[in-house]
Amino acid sequence: MNLLANFLAYVVFIPIVIGILCLFISEKLKILTKTLVFITTLIILAASAHIFIFKPMYWPPVQTPAFMADNLSALAGIGISFFAFLTALYSFGFIEKNNGRYFGYVLMALGSSLGAVFANNLIVLVAFWGFLAALLYLLVSIQGRQRAPESAKKALIMIGGTDALMIFAIGLIWKMTGTFAMDAIRINLNGVFPYAAFIFMAIASFAKAGAVPFHSWLPDVAEDGPASVTAYLPASLDKLLGIYLLARVSLNLFVMNSASNLALLSVGAITIIFAVGIALVQHDFKRLLGYHAVSQVGYMIIGIGTANPVGIAGGLFHMLNNAIYKSCLFLSAGAVEKRTHTSDLAKLGGLAKYMPITFVSFLIASLSISGIPPLNGFVSKWMIYQGIIELGNNKNPLWILWLVCAMFGSALTIASFMKLLHAVFLGRPSDASLKLKEAGISMTAPIIILASVCIIFGVFAFAVPLRLLIMPAIGREALTYIGIWSPGIATSLISVGIILGGLIYMALIPKRERLVGLFVGGEDPEALERVSGAEFYDTVKDVKILGSMYEKEARHAFDIYDISRKSLEVFTKFFQRLHNGVLPAYLVWCLLGMIAMFIILFLK
Amino acid sequence: MNFVPFFVILPLAAAFLIPLTGKKIKIAGEVASIAATLSLAVLSFLVAALTAAQKALICNIGKWIAPAGIPMIVDGFSIFFLVIINVIAFLVAIYSVDYVKRYTDTWKFFTLFLLMVAGMNGVVISGDIFNLYVCLEIAAIAGYSLVAFDVDAEALEASFKYAVMGAVGSSFMLLGIALLYSYASTLNMADMALSIAGKGASKILPFVSALFLAGFGLKAALVPFHAWLPDAHSKAPTPVSAMLSGLLIKVLGVYALSRIFFNIFGMTPQVSMILIGLAVISMVVASVLAFGQTDIKRLLAYSSISQIGYIALGLGVCTPLSIMGALFHLFNHSIFKSLLFLNAGAIEQSTGTRDLRKMPGIMAISPVTGYTNLIGTMSICGIPPLGGFWSKLIIIFACIQADRPILAFIAAAVSALTLGYYFKAATPILFGSKEYRGINNNIGKRIAITMALPMAALAVLSILSVLILLPDTGRSFLGDAVAVLVRGREWNSAISGAMR
Repeated sequence: MNLLANFLAYVVFIPIVIGILCLFISEKLKILTKTLVFITTLIILAASAHIFIFKPMYWPPVQTPAFMADNLSALAGIGISFFAFLTALYSFGFIEKNNGRYFGYVLMALGSSLGAVFANNLIVLVAFWGFLAALLYLLVSIQGRQRAPESAKKALIMIGGTDALMIFAIGLIWKMTGTFAMDAIRINLNGVFPYAAFIFMAIASFAKAGAVPFHSWLPDVAEDGPASVTAYLPASLDKLLGIYLLARVSLNLFVMNSASNLALLSVGAITIIFAVGIALVQHDFKRLLGYHAVSQVGYMIIGIGTANPVGIAGGLFHMLNNAIYKSCLFLSAGAVEKRTHTSDLAKLGGLAKYMPITFVSFLIASLSISGIPPLNGFVSKWMIYQGIIELGNNKNPLWILWLVCAMFGSALTIASFMKLLHAVFLGRPSDASLKLKEAGISMTAPIIILASVCIIFGVFAFAVPLRLLIMPAIGREALTYIGIWSPGIATSLISVGIILGGLIYMALIPKRERLVGLFVGGEDPEALERVSGAEFYDTVKDVKILGSMYEKEARHAFDIYDISRKSLEVFTKFFQRLHNGVLPAYLVWCLLGMIAMFIILFLK
Repeated sequence: MNFVPFFVILPLAAAFLIPLTGKKIKIAGEVASIAATLSLAVLSFLVAALTAAQKALICNIGKWIAPAGIPMIVDGFSIFFLVIINVIAFLVAIYSVDYVKRYTDTWKFFTLFLLMVAGMNGVVISGDIFNLYVCLEIAAIAGYSLVAFDVDAEALEASFKYAVMGAVGSSFMLLGIALLYSYASTLNMADMALSIAGKGASKILPFVSALFLAGFGLKAALVPFHAWLPDAHSKAPTPVSAMLSGLLIKVLGVYALSRIFFNIFGMTPQVSMILIGLAVISMVVASVLAFGQTDIKRLLAYSSISQIGYIALGLGVCTPLSIMGALFHLFNHSIFKSLLFLNAGAIEQSTGTRDLRKMPGIMAISPVTGYTNLIGTMSICGIPPLGGFWSKLIIIFACIQADRPILAFIAAAVSALTLGYYFKAATPILFGSKEYRGINNNIGKRIAITMALPMAALAVLSILSVLILLPDTGRSFLGDAVAVLVRGREWNSAISGAMR
């Protein structure tokens, strides 16, 4: 029997084994660690491409293989390997200490993510899935701020807690179907068990991807963790995995009905609006990006919730696009933080002059996330809108609500990225004496690559990503659209517009300029000289309802983690009061317990 | 030659020798206990190989045949415990060498330690219920005095509570045994099973059942009989805490309970219901309480109650799969809980505190302690691919298989709670806060190799423990133990026949 006939076994276990090896390489030999990591991630990327081309694949060669690469998992797999490679590259310049541990965990995370997406057995899936949560904990707390371990803990508890529910759901699925093999499961949603199983599986994927209300770990991790880790796990791998699982659950494992689709659509819509609303008023660069990472998940969930081919394709395409621009944004944030040692928006500003490459890449990625044509984020959002409109054609009365949510969310995204761009890259620097320079090549290269992919996937959306990656993943040749979007013509028109505008600007630019002091009429000049941008939208807090919402949010009133923690505290206090250390009281409990048992044994 | 009696003879002999030589030779206690526990561990593997072939080893002491004589029986269920007891005891004995340096009369410690081992081994191999009780008392009394070994106010209070409540439990048991003797007219457990089966229903059995459930439930620390445990397990010297939480509650509580209810009385729906009820209360209440703890060892103690709940749940659901889950969880729990207690001792030694609010972060100070603690924590929280994940998975699946989805859901939810309170503790333990570094003089003190080795060994064991689920090598070890319980009373008929 040819056990090692194909790559599936390799791509899962090689990174894990080499990752464990890396843990033991001494800090002095970090060049060896880095070489090893570079080669491994590159090989895995090549192998994933191979798997994508030659799918479907199965391993081991038995009746019910534990691993399977089909259209959907091969798509997620190639994404995972791509981001692992870029993260490794970026981290060579970014990570300063604990190289062995850091890169060891990165490789193990790569292996276990691939294990989770290629799993064809639910137990194998949950094993890799859970291990990845522990790796997230370790990676976030290894380097980062003082509070990083606390945020890492929150992430682990939320993700790990929902994993326990997922085990329960898998048990129910096993009871209903008698098998763990994912390709053999097809459950109709009727009755308590199927719904419970579906809900808990969905919750696990929501927590991983960071959908409301299981999102609250993500902004914390984004703020406190190292930017490379945030870009790697919460922004790309966890998204790919979460949405992969959601797609797998709702497309393959269960037969969806209108109720379950409605649930997905509402979760998606709430996620978009809620998270982007919170993002508007954030003061921390990375935390703001963290809320956007939550908000974007909503689009993917809506896409899958529409349950029509355009919507699903849009959702999956958005999953890929989001990972691309979101890691670009986080990696740029990391570069900024590396140079300025802060991510507080009030202290940043005017960096475009010093870090032009980072600025341009960040600009492209933020236009992309805001859904500006002709970038990739626009195309996938466009497809999702198409999916929603098709819902309307099928007499679904709520379609207009979903469409409004999705579009309004997009508008708010632009708004908050205007603020971010201004506060970080434009305006005046908070300290003009700073001599900053661009981050090193190993950090800028991944950022440039990601920004270019944003353009390529946008301009050549139909020719490259949709034809090569997305259509095969949903198993279709072509899609029918209601609206027509031709990126070629649009791009040329937009380019012409930009060039014309540039020419006009150049022609009308004043020949000479002079700097004069600010006339402030007796006000404090310091306060007026610099507009940092951090408070751009703080006035929304003046709206009564919104103001109290924001105030509650700041107290974590919508945080499911804090709510559960506080309600647990009540019970803990109660039980602790019972344990008063008085021996006779304890003996009375024993006696009462025994009497209860007597009663049960004699009466029954 | 029959090896079975040596499980009791060896530790007893060593415990006897230590006081004789202890005052003259300073390291007598250390040497004798390591030698004794090492040979016991080797012996247990040897006997495990023998039982796997023969299914049950029976040794009639002094060639007296039951019911006149006292048989010692090692079947699949006993050997499962013997291996756990003696391997853990050996590792804890090594760990103790450095730990007991803080005491003056170390030989007293090791004498009591070996007595406890002898008592536990005796419980497991005893073929008659009165001897089971006597050995149980030996182990328990050694436990009471070891808890008080620090001889400060808190330790004495804890020991007193433990002794009083333990004595109450023991008197329940003794009463139960006396009633049972009058009813079945034999003390031999195998004969007793046959005799009870022959007599049919009676009012005395439910009464005795309740007494035993309370008595052994108290030893196993199931809520509401648990109140002695948090004090005793947290105030005892750390190696003793590891023995108490890792072994004693399981041998004295779970082993005896399942031996009696599965093999002698036969499981009834009522007993199963009571076990499940106790299990659910223990799992939930203890893990809620664990959230409020700030002392590492106290948190571990509460978590022991909660995890014993999982084991009782598996036994109570009473299907082959659930029993396998319960025993596998017991196996895992004895490994990682002793590991976590040993870690707590090492942390205290390196940082000078057990207070979770004042942790300087052990990863930076002692990576061995840090990593082993991480592995232990991950395993008990059920993070794959460690042992605890698989045993909880099996228990949850077994509940679902037995058409008890509510229980499965509770088990899953408590698993999430466990993750919560363990990482609430592990985060300061591992990463801590720099401001507490350097306050205490002990900080940065390297832990001795004799402390590091047992922790590393236990960590490796908790990674590898999943291997006993593999077919061939492992499954016969776990499978034989499960088979004994699944066959119930029928198993004792076979033993009864083989004894003569």
